[in-house]
Amino acid sequence: MDNIIVLRYGELYLKGKNRGFFERQLIGNIKNKLKGFDCELICHRGRYEVSGYDRNDESRIVNALKTVFGLKSLSIAQKVPSDISIMSDVILEKLPRSGTFKVDTHRADKTFPLTSPQVSAALGEKIIETNKNLSVDLHNPDIVVNVDIREDKYTYIYTAKEDCAGGMPVGCAGKGLLMLSGGIDSPVSGYMLAKRGLSLDAIHFHSYPYTSVQAKDKVVELAKIMSQYCGNMNLIVVPFTKIQETIHTKCNSDYMITIVRRFMMRIAEKVAFYRDCGCIVNGESLGQVASQTLQSITVTNDVVKSMPVFRPLIGMDKQEIIDISLKIGTYETSILPYEDCCTVFMPDSPVTKPTIFKAENEEKKMGDIEKLIEQALDNLEIIKI
Amino acid sequence: MSNRILERDFYNPSALYYCAVELRKELDASRACIADKLDCKPSEVVFTSGATESNNWAVACGFKNKRGNIVVSEGEHPSVYEPVMLLKGKGIDVRTVPLLSDGRVDEERLACCVDCETAFVSVIHASNETGVVNDVMRLSRIVKEKNPRAVFHSDGVQAFCKVPFRLSGSCVDLYSISAHKIGGLKGAGALYIRNGFNISPLVSGGGQERNLRSGTENVMSILSFKSAIEDFDGSHVCDLYDYAVAYLSKLVGVKINGCADHSSGYIVSVGVSGVKSEILQHILSDSGVLVGTGSACSSKTKKNRTLESMKTEKRFMEGNIRISFSPSNTMEEIKRAMDVISVSIEKLRSAING
Repeated sequence: MDNIIVLRYGELYLKGKNRGFFERQLIGNIKNKLKGFDCELICHRGRYEVSGYDRNDESRIVNALKTVFGLKSLSIAQKVPSDISIMSDVILEKLPRSGTFKVDTHRADKTFPLTSPQVSAALGEKIIETNKNLSVDLHNPDIVVNVDIREDKYTYIYTAKEDCAGGMPVGCAGKGLLMLSGGIDSPVSGYMLAKRGLSLDAIHFHSYPYTSVQAKDKVVELAKIMSQYCGNMNLIVVPFTKIQETIHTKCNSDYMITIVRRFMMRIAEKVAFYRDCGCIVNGESLGQVASQTLQSITVTNDVVKSMPVFRPLIGMDKQEIIDISLKIGTYETSILPYEDCCTVFMPDSPVTKPTIFKAENEEKKMGDIEKLIEQALDNLEIIKI
Repeated sequence: MSNRILERDFYNPSALYYCAVELRKELDASRACIADKLDCKPSEVVFTSGATESNNWAVACGFKNKRGNIVVSEGEHPSVYEPVMLLKGKGIDVRTVPLLSDGRVDEERLACCVDCETAFVSVIHASNETGVVNDVMRLSRIVKEKNPRAVFHSDGVQAFCKVPFRLSGSCVDLYSISAHKIGGLKGAGALYIRNGFNISPLVSGGGQERNLRSGTENVMSILSFKSAIEDFDGSHVCDLYDYAVAYLSKLVGVKINGCADHSSGYIVSVGVSGVKSEILQHILSDSGVLVGTGSACSSKTKKNRTLESMKTEKRFMEGNIRISFSPSNTMEEIKRAMDVISVSIEKLRSAING
């Protein structure tokens, strides 16, 4: 008796004539994930199956599949010949010693002599005959036993559905550039939009020697963790020291963070353009810190003219963000204490209500800002994750 | 040596076949070498995985019956201080003795803290932060005079082979050392346990090290301990130290933490105002000068307990770097390092201040 993994997709059901496009993307992503495992992926209409794998690999395969966006749920099923007494034996093994159950039959093989309700009834009867401690409850059973009679004279039996990542297949929505800082929020914001089918590149601003090499390694590590969900990405590291020093020495200190973020946005937009990204993604959450007030976001957003800036966390509480980061496994890395060396430049009280006019005036003190940006863009480091 | 141990003599030194017995003799030779250096009996030296284990052992098992009070200096290494603080968290009376501004333990305060209830005292021999040496010989006597039953431990990691010292004649009961601080391999340390002092094992099991420290011996690291002691020649290090201290003292906004008169000569702790130590460390490492940082850069992260106890000004604590000298350093290297440090400090200050 073999185990197989039954995969179901979610929202793609809603797609019409272009469903093929989404399915191809999903199947490609699943195949990518199954590289390295000796197994077979069979794609039926509306449902996929993974079979022919070594039982020792099962939990690792399941965990890998749970990171594929576009899949809604999966079940580990037993594959048995379509025979009532064999089926009931298998079901008895799967059921606990006592409790209530219900058999739910789906018959694709119309040559099978019993109809679906008849199969359910026959199996139910056989089971309660053998184990008197079990009883049938059609409305509120402890366990639902799914019996799926396939056309190839085999039947799949499973009892539990496990949730997968949901969402849309990564890649079907185009590509975005994620601003990845190393904190808790930015990996989560990337995850949220990968879930909606966006593939990602990430951009990180590095201010060595004011931030450490470990701070960069940490971002690489975060990108690696994210890539389990988001697929391969490139991490673009921008040398930011010169710009930060110039801002620090030339601009009013309470506008420091505002100006820094405007420069980050400017560079992100340029990098996004060159790397065919259609949007910028960041982890801003309204009002979380001084740089994320409505006024601050207005002033930093103002420099981006050619593409949307997505902020999937804008309406989320910190705790909600932390919960997701725990779920996707970035939290432990995010809280490593490497990034705060930049505090050397941070003012005691950053402005919470900056204006575009004042920000532009501050920037005028910096001289040729285009040249500063160009210098940074000329020295990008690109790390393949 | 490493090839021989890995390829030919890959024996368990506690086995009974003759080749293992030969290996055991080598381990005991290493033990004898340490004993000779410390001026104690070989049977008083027990090998451990390193000084962290030695110190933890001393605290956990030297403080017997969990009764009475503990007295430690505020300048202890974390591997002494943290286990002591764990005991404090469990309700034990822990008394911490502040340091003088020159970096030494305040002798009078130490004497005041010890009373007839004191069960365990620990004073670091040479500070891991400042290199300042405490007169353990004298301090151990002061403690024993006030309370002969108090156990006296000293963390000698930074002093072993570097500071002239003999255990005979002192009143030290327990003394921790480590191989890699004098150029041996990582993974070997030892605890001196005074003859007649009963201590229970921290790690029990197969009964190695006369039942005091179980676990298959780390042969390679222990043998390297002996060669490290034999090869250790720090005679010229004081010249390097003197040069560095004289050079750094002349720089503006730079302060040597701790008094040079009491230094081991192997560590100099430098406070640099107007910079953050981690950033300075990055710049220095780019120029090939590798220094330690006493305190992490951010206000959020942990403080430097030793420097705080010495009442060091905040601006010097934030910009604190720790320069360690090794016998393999040459005067040319130190001269170059000092120039690099001086230039880097100026560079960093001007970048930050405009």
